[in-house]
Amino acid sequence: MTKSAEHFSEFQIALRGFTRNRLAVSCAYALLTLYAGALFAGFFAPYSFQNEDRSYSYSPPTPVKIFDNGGLVVPYVTGTQLTFNEYNARIYVGDPEQKYPVRFFVPGDEYRLLGIFPCRYHLFGVAAPGRIYLLGADARGRDVFSRLLYGAQVSLSIGLIGVLISFAIGLLVGGISGYYGGRIDNFLMRLCEMVMMVPGFYLLLALRAAVPDNFNSLQVYFAIIIILSFIGWAGLARIIRGMCLSLREREYVLAAKGLGLSDVKIIVRHILPHTLSYSIFAVMLSIPGYILGESGLSLIGLGIQDPYASWGNMLSDAMSIVRIKFAPWILWPAFCIFLTVVCFNVIGDALRDCLDPMLKSEGENT
Amino acid sequence: MWRYAFKRLLVAIPMLLGIALLTFVLMRVSPGNYLDTVRMDPQFSKETIARYEQLYQLDKPLFYQYVQWVRNLLHLELGYSFYYNVPVDKIIGERIWNTFVLALAAFLVTWCVAIPLGIWAALNRNRFVDRVIQFFSYIALSLPSFFLGMILLFWASQTGTLPLGGMHGPDYESLGWLGRRTDLLKHLAIPTVALSIGSIAALQRIMRGNMLEVLEQKYILTARAKGLSERRVVYHHALRNAINPLITLLGYEFSSLLSGAALIEIICSWPGLGSLMLTAVRSKDVYLVMASMMMGGILFIIGNLLADIALARADPRIRYD
Amino acid sequence: MKRKSFSLKTVFPAFFPLFFFCIYFYPVQAAFADKYGGGLVLATTSDPKSFNEITAKETSTSLVTDLIFEGLTTANAFTAKIEPNLAKSWDISEDGLTWTFHLREDVRWNDGKPFTADDVVFTFNDLIYNPAIPSSARDIFTIDDKTFTVEKVDSYTVRFVLPVKFAPFLRGMGQAILPKHKLEKAVAQGRFNFTWGIDTDPGEIVGTGPFNLARYDPGQRLVFERNPYYWKKSVEGDSLPYLEKIIYLIVPSTDVGLLKFMEGTLDGYALRGMDYPMIKPLEKKGNFTVYDLGPDMGSQFLFFNQNPGKNPHSGEYFVAPYKLAWFMNLAFRKAVAHAIDKQKIIEIVNNKLGYPQSSALGPAAGFFYNPDVAEYDYDLDKAGTILKEAGFGDRDGDGVIEGPQGHRVEFSLYTNAGSTDRVDIAAIIRQDLERLGMKVNFRALEFNTLVSQLTSSFQWEAVILGLTGGIEPHFGKNVWMSSGQLHMWYPMQEKPATDWEKRVDEIFTQGVQELDENKRKVLYDEYQRIVAEELPVIYTVLSARLYAVRDKFGNLKPANYGGVFHNPEELYIKEEPR
Repeated sequence: MTKSAEHFSEFQIALRGFTRNRLAVSCAYALLTLYAGALFAGFFAPYSFQNEDRSYSYSPPTPVKIFDNGGLVVPYVTGTQLTFNEYNARIYVGDPEQKYPVRFFVPGDEYRLLGIFPCRYHLFGVAAPGRIYLLGADARGRDVFSRLLYGAQVSLSIGLIGVLISFAIGLLVGGISGYYGGRIDNFLMRLCEMVMMVPGFYLLLALRAAVPDNFNSLQVYFAIIIILSFIGWAGLARIIRGMCLSLREREYVLAAKGLGLSDVKIIVRHILPHTLSYSIFAVMLSIPGYILGESGLSLIGLGIQDPYASWGNMLSDAMSIVRIKFAPWILWPAFCIFLTVVCFNVIGDALRDCLDPMLKSEGENT
Repeated sequence: MWRYAFKRLLVAIPMLLGIALLTFVLMRVSPGNYLDTVRMDPQFSKETIARYEQLYQLDKPLFYQYVQWVRNLLHLELGYSFYYNVPVDKIIGERIWNTFVLALAAFLVTWCVAIPLGIWAALNRNRFVDRVIQFFSYIALSLPSFFLGMILLFWASQTGTLPLGGMHGPDYESLGWLGRRTDLLKHLAIPTVALSIGSIAALQRIMRGNMLEVLEQKYILTARAKGLSERRVVYHHALRNAINPLITLLGYEFSSLLSGAALIEIICSWPGLGSLMLTAVRSKDVYLVMASMMMGGILFIIGNLLADIALARADPRIRYD
Repeated sequence: MKRKSFSLKTVFPAFFPLFFFCIYFYPVQAAFADKYGGGLVLATTSDPKSFNEITAKETSTSLVTDLIFEGLTTANAFTAKIEPNLAKSWDISEDGLTWTFHLREDVRWNDGKPFTADDVVFTFNDLIYNPAIPSSARDIFTIDDKTFTVEKVDSYTVRFVLPVKFAPFLRGMGQAILPKHKLEKAVAQGRFNFTWGIDTDPGEIVGTGPFNLARYDPGQRLVFERNPYYWKKSVEGDSLPYLEKIIYLIVPSTDVGLLKFMEGTLDGYALRGMDYPMIKPLEKKGNFTVYDLGPDMGSQFLFFNQNPGKNPHSGEYFVAPYKLAWFMNLAFRKAVAHAIDKQKIIEIVNNKLGYPQSSALGPAAGFFYNPDVAEYDYDLDKAGTILKEAGFGDRDGDGVIEGPQGHRVEFSLYTNAGSTDRVDIAAIIRQDLERLGMKVNFRALEFNTLVSQLTSSFQWEAVILGLTGGIEPHFGKNVWMSSGQLHMWYPMQEKPATDWEKRVDEIFTQGVQELDENKRKVLYDEYQRIVAEELPVIYTVLSARLYAVRDKFGNLKPANYGGVFHNPEELYIKEEPR
């Protein structure tokens, strides 16, 4: 009973402090928008991630027109013609004769809403053979905007799931290590060091090389998550161990011991809930590492494979000066990664600022 | 203290062997070996390929290969590179040095820039200077470093100020002694900046945080009450205590720089261990990969050891059994 | 009491001397004395694997060895005809089996020693035919397990006795000759396989070619300097080469290579189709010219697994029998051939700078190229009709067609992950096949894995791959003969599985022994027709060979066969224009 009251009040204090920080709150909203977009990607995206049209290779963003002959009309897009100039550069010319109005709640490519319900309706779209490329098209004429949304599903979820696994392992290892101290602590911390000893990228490479090649995309996806967690848990474990080391000297823990509560119960009921609240900021701050790790892997072709979209592999297509020069819109995934990472960093910092005074007021530092 | 150092070294050896075994197992688990690229050349026949396999003992069982490698290790022989057809130590030596120089340069730049920035930000908490620094820190932390590398290269190509990757210019030999050093520094510029920006941002935040924390301590209040100049209070008393916790990070800093250097090396064509290792992993050059990982491990252990010693000397509150 | 604390101020400055120590006492080899200028700077994407021409043959090594070594003959860069090189003339016996080469007498190795028949005999008898040395050259110079007899007649005459007539013999004599005086000890001690690796002192690599290796900085560059003893003279009688040095910078990233060319560091660069719009407009301002040398040599194709065998360990078929039935069905393959949108592939992948391919030897092969073969235009309706007539159709309305036996037509398509071009080609083909109603599961595999499946485990269904190629059809025998290891759709057959494969075997056996070029052409033309008709592989597209080269070089003669830099010994720096 005492535990729950303490637990909630810490949280509430933290939350209150957090909501006062306007920057952090707007970042939180931005993240929620991104996650909502990812969750309902099929609906918001006019096309499936693999819907390609070869005549629109590297098409620039389609201008949505709202004027026609001087009057305001329903937004529409025009058909386009592709020509190559004398230097073999692509020129897309709009054809004002062909008009395609933008409609809402249109039927289009099939997808599964929330991964379960088959659905055919999209938020907006144009009738074939018109194409609407809000943010331009890639080499095969696939819509960048749609792929950004589908890519968000992959990149954002890798961050979340990966960090949750790392956190679980870190809690276990750090909790045991910090609570028991002595030999166990020594051994477990040496283990952590061994994992942290190899420079992360090399370990990432070697682990990824060990994944069998007959894995399908879903299995590769999970393999990448597990690999990233394998590298990340050690850092979290150390932080948690530090917290446990100080927490175990608290009065209520000693009291619980005195009352004869088993070690496991003490760890689970008294120590871990505190570490949870305190370490939430560490979790937030390490999520960017997973997102950047995935994009690094995809850059060298070891991440999520075509045709599935992830911000990382979309970015790897864009790592070419020539392409950027002629089709700068393929850089959108970089901006999305950047935005997400910034938001997580800001939120993590804000949480830490709120929780820090509490950490300090209870005595030792980590 | 020396006994402590020795003990840590003893612990390090089984750790290194464990890493070597892990690498060996990982490399073996995935199918294919480097001879596969040879197989696709229409000019080679089966017999030739079998001869190559015999030469490199690839038809012997796994365990035998690993035991052979450990035996070589005890003779300080790092094994043979299938891909380059030379002993590993011939290739790896110069590459390690190149990566080391890059990591060291990034390390120095990080600390020289981050510490003063952190102090400055802390002293001007929440004022314009602080906000600007924090803003740029967020940006620096969030950009993938390889992306930043590309942008810098592009900018350099447009302005023609710095060379585009590599380590020496084409006319390196004809330069004088000073010319060569300058040439090296010019080539070092872009990879170092790309590599260190993220670390600068992270370290600066920690420094700022520590500084702010220390400045609120009671002994600072005492110092001020005693009438000491603000300058002495900040730079003599506060700074020392604020920096101490950062020393524990020395080792991890270096390791993370070593790791981050790999992608940067590839983008900027810096001839280091990272790019060598990537080629080795892709071509399944087992011994080269293992040696590279061990080198990484050794460098990290040394860094960590130095950091621990520094910390033990610096902070008498920490005791090791 | 003042605590004597350890401060960062004391530790930190120590790093600076350490850093500068590293930089200033960086291990530097002896300075290279010649001045810069009169040089050619190019780029390569990876380090050479070795400098040993016999044991290593990949492009990163041949870059080096092509400059340092030469053979008895050479191929004309424009006509591809064989011309004398180290051998000034040769006689052929009546039966075509004995070849006597008369060597030039003015050739010296780059260390000054004279080049003699001993070196030629040594190269063949002690290196190429040495059972302890793994070399691919042996495969070329062995027919039906019989080797050539190579003997010295006198200091400048060598005799080769062939077991049977061998048409590519002269072309094969472009094989590099290695120096006996430098290598005989290594061979005697059994160390040859480890000699002349990349750790060798450059001065040890002795050849007769126009340049020698002056310096190798791993991961950075290769520096070649002119060979003062080089035998070739220009038409005017000048001693060649003119250039003092050739430098290859090692630039792993193609984009950075492009930037380096644009800023002036590189003198030449191989362009990809997509680089063309960016580079071409800069020609005048940048004082360079872009050369288009026509289609690439080699080939790129899609093929299906037609191997009816079983895995000896598990007892399972490599390919499920009902799938095998589709792949072995010529109508199925023809339909797929009609589903390849070559024009769009060229547009998207090569930025319109590419060529459709239909025959086994591309236009770049010159004399033996047969343009008169069956072509398959991109026509999905026609493909659909062919499939229907063959018994394929969507009978249950699920959008996927079924085969004659009722199974859904679903198979996996692989290509190597390292090549974005191939991945893009695969994606385009896949989409068209799905329009036909097939379900294609695409996966990009790592190159090693792919090769292992093709050559050892045989468990694959459809693959897109490419091969390098050349002018001489016989050098592709491992691919086309049914017993060949690279006969990829059904390798190492004990006897030919089909009539047409039997015929191709006959063609290759006859063609190699036929010395009359025109009769050979008839044979190889037939083989190309057969391949296009039977479609064991379905050809896709070839890239254009594009080079951007600075205008400052005289005697630059871009040639269809040789490329732009086939004559480094003749190049010189022109006076600055204007």
